[in-house]
Amino acid sequence: MKNETKFSVKDLNLYYGNFQALKNINMELYKGQITAFIGPSGCGKSTFLKTINRMNDLVEGVKISGNITMDGVDIYQDMDAITLRTRVGMVFQQPNPFPMSIYDNVAYGPRIHGIHKKSVLDEIVEKSLKQAAIWDEVKDKLKKSALAVSGGQQQRICIARTLAIEPEVILMDEPTSALDPISTLKIEDLATELKKDYTIIIVTHNMQQAGRISDKTAFFLTGEVIEYDDTEQIFNFPKNKKTEDYITGRFG
Amino acid sequence: MKHVGKNEMVAKQQKDYKEKVFHFIFLFSALISVLSVIAIIAFVFSKGLKPFFGENSYSFLDFITGLKWDPGTESYGIFYMIVGSVLATLGAIALGVPIGLLTAVFIAEIAPKKIVAIIRPAIELLAGIPSVIYGAFGLGVIVQLIKKVSPTGQGESLLAVICVLTIMILPTIITLSESSLRAVPKSYREASYGLGASKIQTIFKTVVPAARSGILSATVLGIGRAMGETMAVMMIAGNNIGGLPKSIWSKIRPLTSNISMEMSYASGRHQDMLFATGVVLFLFILVINMVLIKITSKMGNANSKK
Amino acid sequence: MMKNNNTKLKDGILRGLIYLSATVTVAILVVIIGFIFYKGLPGVNLKFMTRMWDDETTVVDVSRNNNSNSHGETDYVESLGIHIALEDKNIVIKSIDSNSPVKDAVNMKKASYELKTGDVIGKAGNTNFKNITLEEAKKALDEGTETIRMKITRTGGGILPMLVSTIYIIGLTLVISAPIGICAAIYLNEYAKPGRMLNIIRFAIQNLAGIPSIVYGLFGMLVFVQTLKLSYSVLAGAFTLSIMLLPTIISTTEETLKEVPMTYRESSMGLGATKLQTISKIIIPSALPGILVAIILSIGRIVGESAALIWTAGTIAQIPKTLVGSEAAAATLTTKMYWLIKETADLEQASSIAVVLIVLVIALNMLSKLITRKFLKKRTS
Repeated sequence: MKNETKFSVKDLNLYYGNFQALKNINMELYKGQITAFIGPSGCGKSTFLKTINRMNDLVEGVKISGNITMDGVDIYQDMDAITLRTRVGMVFQQPNPFPMSIYDNVAYGPRIHGIHKKSVLDEIVEKSLKQAAIWDEVKDKLKKSALAVSGGQQQRICIARTLAIEPEVILMDEPTSALDPISTLKIEDLATELKKDYTIIIVTHNMQQAGRISDKTAFFLTGEVIEYDDTEQIFNFPKNKKTEDYITGRFG
Repeated sequence: MKHVGKNEMVAKQQKDYKEKVFHFIFLFSALISVLSVIAIIAFVFSKGLKPFFGENSYSFLDFITGLKWDPGTESYGIFYMIVGSVLATLGAIALGVPIGLLTAVFIAEIAPKKIVAIIRPAIELLAGIPSVIYGAFGLGVIVQLIKKVSPTGQGESLLAVICVLTIMILPTIITLSESSLRAVPKSYREASYGLGASKIQTIFKTVVPAARSGILSATVLGIGRAMGETMAVMMIAGNNIGGLPKSIWSKIRPLTSNISMEMSYASGRHQDMLFATGVVLFLFILVINMVLIKITSKMGNANSKK
Repeated sequence: MMKNNNTKLKDGILRGLIYLSATVTVAILVVIIGFIFYKGLPGVNLKFMTRMWDDETTVVDVSRNNNSNSHGETDYVESLGIHIALEDKNIVIKSIDSNSPVKDAVNMKKASYELKTGDVIGKAGNTNFKNITLEEAKKALDEGTETIRMKITRTGGGILPMLVSTIYIIGLTLVISAPIGICAAIYLNEYAKPGRMLNIIRFAIQNLAGIPSIVYGLFGMLVFVQTLKLSYSVLAGAFTLSIMLLPTIISTTEETLKEVPMTYRESSMGLGATKLQTISKIIIPSALPGILVAIILSIGRIVGESAALIWTAGTIAQIPKTLVGSEAAAATLTTKMYWLIKETADLEQASSIAVVLIVLVIALNMLSKLITRKFLKKRTS
């Protein structure tokens, strides 16, 4: 697999007030792959994920040093957060559809970016829902509330909503932690499918999941990247003792 | 202590008795509200409907469709008052809801904490100011200003009433809208930002729509307030004795001020007619209350589903 | 895909509107307070706060002092122990000695009527004090029989009766409605089971909350003033307000009862306490600050109420001497302010009352804030 850099992270430090949540992160994230971030709670993996589309900007008292570039452009210096977020979509831990119809949820992104023509929207909605592998389940109830379907379906609607803004990258923050096993598998299949067109970065608590779907895995601990390598390598021949402990479940 | 004797039995019985008595006291206290509503309806309605029944009764149709109120000549028409009340209320809502909602947005979504710490007590103060003071302000400032620009040369007018009512419903709209905006889950905002929406887009396309039932009930409550407001309105409405308002410069005579204008000296049928005006006002408020109760119970259901 | 400029323009406009609205809201408050203080503040002083509303004229008898200390001053009346002054062509008592006999003055009913600084002497003995010089007045006061009869006018223009009446009505109303409201809230939160009864009670409370105060005024006049023959009185007013305030007290109290953690109830019951004991020993004490806030909120409503009081308690400025009957009619600050505007169009004096009202409202708001803050601190620590 060829490694074409999408993101390049250099000397990244992040503080919440006086607390340093991320310490000196340096890594390359590659195009067309699934990269998984693993590690125990509070290790900084979600925080790091949120720096990639600048969701941390919304948190009060956050200070960041170092830089992240996407396709060579510094996302903090030379890009505004809104443009960045249309190129880097995000799927959250809890399915969080808006209290609107399924259609309006998916059409939300295109609409705020100025697309109002019905036929175009219809097309985008259908395409996105199909891509998110949920079209068949909801095509007859597009006007129904998105809150009226199951959690797994809600999460796929949220993925469709993200796909509708045609991002280049999709960030997934523990997207299956609130779902049942069957829904989880569907989302995993979907992620593998989406890899063809998108760069995917996924934070997960679930080691099997990381092993199943990712190409690269990074292990985080107390704000540092302990080890980052091909998933095969990490899971079978971890170089660091801490990584091994975590993966084998001997941790903490 | 271990000894189970007669005394203990008695003590237990006394305890049970006390429990029952207090249970009854609590229940009775709660029922006083019900009794009060029934009593208010019974008394006000029986007096207010009296003129329309029995010998020498006044035609209810004339009452409800009449355009002139002149107790001296036995004309009791309140249609023009209903129109005045409704127009004033609608005007106040049309102005007050947007201003109030946007202020709520400012407080809940935009303003830094320090500014919120100033602006919120200001709104609480606005809510606490007695309506008579609003009347004095309306009379001393708003009516004087309108006098200068009005083609009729009169300050007391529909416009003056709308201005004062707008101010008076603002605290209600702001406080209720603010709390419903704050109740919108953070995840909605995150999702919207995650899709590349700007802050303002997120507020107006996600947060406000998600809070709409709260905003709606704030609006309905505002309608009730505006419709029922008496003292402030009476001082600035002009209280003409007849005729539909033709423009915002026209004098009006809201239902409430009809009652308060003449209550102190009315007697006999005249007094009954003031109660009849109260009945009409009451019916309007009743409908508004029903709508409000419907909205809030719907809201309660939606919340429990989450 | 992005129409960035368009979005930015729209955002800018909306953002502008938001700032504008917030500014308008604050500006309105500033203008109202500014207007009221500008008009009313000059009239607010100690006399305004402590004097009666109407001028009060009384005829009194004073027994002279024999062993008075001579000062030889032109404005000092030796036999009465008072200094007098000429103000606006009136003879006014300027100061009173500590052992002055005017402190033991009696009116025609032989009841004590202590003279005070500021009282205007209209007549002494047979001398009319109109357009009189200071010397003539001193002479008239010093001369004559052992007991001197004087016509005294005590200047009004103060709001003391309304302050007292307002306090009376607050007290009476709370005595009636607070226990009922709190008990009702306890019933709703601790006893009631979901069902028809609860629905009816809640429905009634919600409706009660929506009824405009003018309708309460009508009801109170019809039932308390006319049917129960209480006439315009503090009691009729307090009854009317009690009903009006029930929803506020009930819902605010209920909110605080809800916040009392379930574990408190469970552990109390688990220790063998009865429901009533749990309520009186655990629930009410921990809900007390909230109940206090409910009461302060109610005081605010009573202070500001006019429509429900004008036709139940009347608009007469007097300190009520009884609970019912003609001596019990009483204007509160707010109803007197209304009366001033409607009957005399005196915006200045009305605004002076308004200044007092606004200060009261601010004080009440701050008090409830203080309690809430202290209460919250206790909870979180």
